[in-house]
Amino acid sequence: MVQREKKPVIAILSLTCCEGCQVSIFDLGERFLEFLTKVNIGDFRLIEGLPDVKKYDIAIVEGTAITKEQKKRLKIMRKKSKILIAIGACACVGGPQEIKDYRGNKNKLIRQIYPNIRGIDNPKIKSVKEMVKVDLEIPGCPINKEEFFKLINELLETNKIPQIPQKPVCEECVRKNKNCLLLLGKPCLGAISLAGCGAPCPASNFPCDGCRGPRKGINLEAMKKSLMVKVRLSEKEINFILERFGQKNEIIRATKVQISTNLQK
Amino acid sequence: MRIRIDHIAKIEGHASFTADIVRGDVRGAKIKIEEGARLFEGILRGRRDEEMPEIVSRICGVCPVVHNLTAFKSLENAYALRLDESAILLRKLMMLGQIISSHSLHLFFFSLSDFFGFKTDLELINAYPEKTHDAVKIRDVGNKIVETIGGRAVHPLTPAIGGLRKIPDLDKLKQISEDCKNILPLAIKLGEFFIKLKYPDFPRKTAFVSLTNPNEYAIYEGEMKVDARTMQPRDFFFQIKEFQSFDKVAKRTLFEEKTYMVGALARLHNNSEKLNPEAKKLLEKSGLKFPLYNPFYNILAQAIELIHCLEESPGILTQIIDKFDANKKLSIEPINRSGEGIGAIEAPRGTLFYNVKIREGIIEDLNIITPTAQNIANLEADLEEFEHIEGFKNLKREERADKVKMLIRAYDPCVTCAVH
Repeated sequence: MVQREKKPVIAILSLTCCEGCQVSIFDLGERFLEFLTKVNIGDFRLIEGLPDVKKYDIAIVEGTAITKEQKKRLKIMRKKSKILIAIGACACVGGPQEIKDYRGNKNKLIRQIYPNIRGIDNPKIKSVKEMVKVDLEIPGCPINKEEFFKLINELLETNKIPQIPQKPVCEECVRKNKNCLLLLGKPCLGAISLAGCGAPCPASNFPCDGCRGPRKGINLEAMKKSLMVKVRLSEKEINFILERFGQKNEIIRATKVQISTNLQK
Repeated sequence: MRIRIDHIAKIEGHASFTADIVRGDVRGAKIKIEEGARLFEGILRGRRDEEMPEIVSRICGVCPVVHNLTAFKSLENAYALRLDESAILLRKLMMLGQIISSHSLHLFFFSLSDFFGFKTDLELINAYPEKTHDAVKIRDVGNKIVETIGGRAVHPLTPAIGGLRKIPDLDKLKQISEDCKNILPLAIKLGEFFIKLKYPDFPRKTAFVSLTNPNEYAIYEGEMKVDARTMQPRDFFFQIKEFQSFDKVAKRTLFEEKTYMVGALARLHNNSEKLNPEAKKLLEKSGLKFPLYNPFYNILAQAIELIHCLEESPGILTQIIDKFDANKKLSIEPINRSGEGIGAIEAPRGTLFYNVKIREGIIEDLNIITPTAQNIANLEADLEEFEHIEGFKNLKREERADKVKMLIRAYDPCVTCAVH
């Protein structure tokens, strides 16, 4: 684990994504500069061009590995790192690029965009944990920089992998108990989505669309029923929302966990 | 001799460069993009109109505001909506915040090390601690503008079809006006630092393309200016020739069969008479004369724009505050959700275009042409002539590679945007 006497070596790897999570870390501003004095940066391409060092204490990964080169880099990063943290919707649940996998023929789709598709990788989108072992996921599109800063400092101070409490976004929502967007007929996924973002979306009159993925043990059927009755959405429209950040597979998985535990009871 | 640069650092996204030097002549200069294809234009077909701006903002985490707003503009043009003036002013202000945040990142953290030969920004931070803090403070103001109006610094939430879904807090608006005024001297100081830097001498003629507007330094709206000509964004857009070679995930563009440059230098070239006083003062102090065919000056152009944006923001804020009505509805529900529209806004890196076709609220077709997709052909053309940079003959292989990287970074390419 991270040694106290020696500065921990940190690397940030960016795969295919918008890089908004890296930007959010940078947005910590003065706090980021101070953070840089407490650690050694092993690899952070957005601010420097140093060659990789041999071992990292903590690797932070954003994005999804789409190209063969990216898959290779992710595997090397895992091998070299004691702890690997996946950040953002792309790394944790697949990101918007996963929408193509829900749309039937993804090869037909790529042909519409690129007339010359030879040599362009178009694999099924996988989150980071479907490719390598992940020790901690900090989800969100983008990540909540405050949550990130809190968790990374907790990790550095305690040498233990911190946990994100399994609460719904509703608990952090300013509209809790008043003007709930779902009750107003807006397609808000707050009830099934994992809190920790600070609920900026509903605070801006924007329904939560679950970019952080599901919390554990959700009742997807009840959520769907609310969306059908209160928002008058069709099954297809509900699927569109669940797919937006590639979180649909995760949501189904989180639901299955609940069904199997119910059966055990 | 072959120059090969893998994984160019300090740009947005992933790219490499290769070229051969045959008897002192650069040949086959190619930027290779190493970003996975996300197919944004494809995944949006069949989805609802209002989903588009939210999803496309994820094309780029450095300039999400401009993707979001240009997408909205294309929809609003398709639906022939006329926005409330306050909504337009708030969006203009968001764009200024976006440019302040993006330029300060690029100027200081991506480009500056190249002038001193620092291999990492950590060396730069140690050598110029005060300047580093100044750059961070300036960038914070840009982020605060976006956050106050957009609800969040990265991936804004409040814009909606026909305007905005939420009116920002009046006290916070007043506060950012003060912040802009307070931070302006630091931006001027930074600008003066940038005019003293030594820019490599590398002239190559090109066409400068940007929006232009008789009322202001054009960012949110205007006509297209192509050197001395002006035309509607639609007319320019449909004359852009987009092409894609096999194994290339980023398309290239030509206008009238030629490469052209978009971005800060193009805007400054086309619209410098509309700059605010302090920005203009710095431009005069720099002694630069137009036409200025040296892409390295894109960096200085950004420093000048940074000052302009900080001067422009308090004026727009005054107009917003004068008209402020917390209960006013700032969005319009479209009556007819079918049509075709173009949106064009000046992103930090140049003109961004969206062209959308919608039938009954469902997207049928979408084409996005990003600034970097437009610049990349011009950049490759520059690199093809790179032997004309001053002192090329006497540079070692390593130094040549460093100069190539410096030029690539001067364009401030956004690879994630180029691929989308």
